[in-house]
Amino acid sequence: MLDKDKIILMTRMASYEATEGKKMIPIAGYFRSDYVGFNIIKSAVSVTLAFIVIVSVYLVCNADKFISEFYEANFMDVVSRFINIYGFVLIIYILVSYIVYSFKYTAARKSVRIYQKALKKLISMYGR
Amino acid sequence: MDNLISIRDRIKEVYSGYATYIDAFFRFVLALIVYVMVNNSVGHMEALKSPVLITLLALLNAVLPANAIIIFAAILTVLHLYAYSLLCAGVVVVLFVLLFLLYFRFSPKDSLTVVLTPLAFAMHVPYAVPICAGLSGSPYSCVSVACGAVAYYVVNYVNMSGADIEIEDVEMVASTLRNLINGIIGNKNMHLVIYAFMATTLVVYVIRRSKINYSWIIAIFSGAVFDLLFILVGSAVMHTSVSVLALFTGTLFALPIALILMFFVFMVDYSRTEYLQFEDEEYYYYVKAVPKISSGGFEQEERNFRR
Repeated sequence: MLDKDKIILMTRMASYEATEGKKMIPIAGYFRSDYVGFNIIKSAVSVTLAFIVIVSVYLVCNADKFISEFYEANFMDVVSRFINIYGFVLIIYILVSYIVYSFKYTAARKSVRIYQKALKKLISMYGR
Repeated sequence: MDNLISIRDRIKEVYSGYATYIDAFFRFVLALIVYVMVNNSVGHMEALKSPVLITLLALLNAVLPANAIIIFAAILTVLHLYAYSLLCAGVVVVLFVLLFLLYFRFSPKDSLTVVLTPLAFAMHVPYAVPICAGLSGSPYSCVSVACGAVAYYVVNYVNMSGADIEIEDVEMVASTLRNLINGIIGNKNMHLVIYAFMATTLVVYVIRRSKINYSWIIAIFSGAVFDLLFILVGSAVMHTSVSVLALFTGTLFALPIALILMFFVFMVDYSRTEYLQFEDEEYYYYVKAVPKISSGGFEQEERNFRR
């Protein structure tokens, strides 16, 4: 026998799974610390790549200067300056990604909670 | 007004029935416009300018996700610039890689804004962008608008730079590249427009979200006025040359665009017919879920569990 309420509920849940839930359900499957930590590592990697790109463009731009001053230049100075800037940018990015991904995680949990409630209701429908 | 509302409801009705095809059609049209604009503004490689190729690419976009437009547009731009000068193409590739690494990872949803911003610049209605972004987006949208503006100005600058010289030695490469990068970073107009657009997006967003009557309309008008004043005052302070006439006409054109968008796009919940499949232990279900048309307007924006 077809149960109309059950079909409506299942349809709504299937529709959620196909749209918003597609992104949200996997996120809510993580622990908060795992999700946020993993994404911070990903941002750190992309900041590092971006920094390498910027530094290489800078080096190519100033290639003539570097070649002419090759013997006089104090490399430790230049390198430590780069490392300082890199550390600063990295810290800012880590903070930003901590905030962004914490918000995303909270939003996903909130969105999935309603779905889980519907799931419970469905289970109780089977029970009766 | 009643007429307009009935037209809008009719559009909504048609859309909810044929959303899949209409979305695909819009992706095709948007892709076509973007590629034609890229070809017009940086068309150096003749092979890429063939209408057949562009149409085929746009058709491909009809079935791919919307973000594919960005990737194709970026590749087209780089190829065109490569035909112009290797150095210019290099600079633009670096820019795209940086934008991807530093920003898109965070908000891939907003990436369409980044394509629409240069498009609006090319169509001489850039001032509509921050208003629409503030209306439709989140506070992060201001960064997307800024990225789009940066992409436009850099591609434009590199394209006009005349850096298409024969490159003979390292010193030449270094000095040309240095000039290019200094020109890009020192472009005061770009700085001014970026600040103005970011601030306008935030202003529009904050007013739109505030709990006052007619907040959307107030947001549009105050955003336009704010943008205008910001650029006028900014150009006086930063000593840049801004065409006042273009600024006024651009803002005047931005208003109707924002109003039309508000009326047809943002004020309606374009819910669509969905085709779903699921099963329990007794049946397989193939459900066609058709949304009920209600004229609730955009108050219903916050959805509860699936409408």
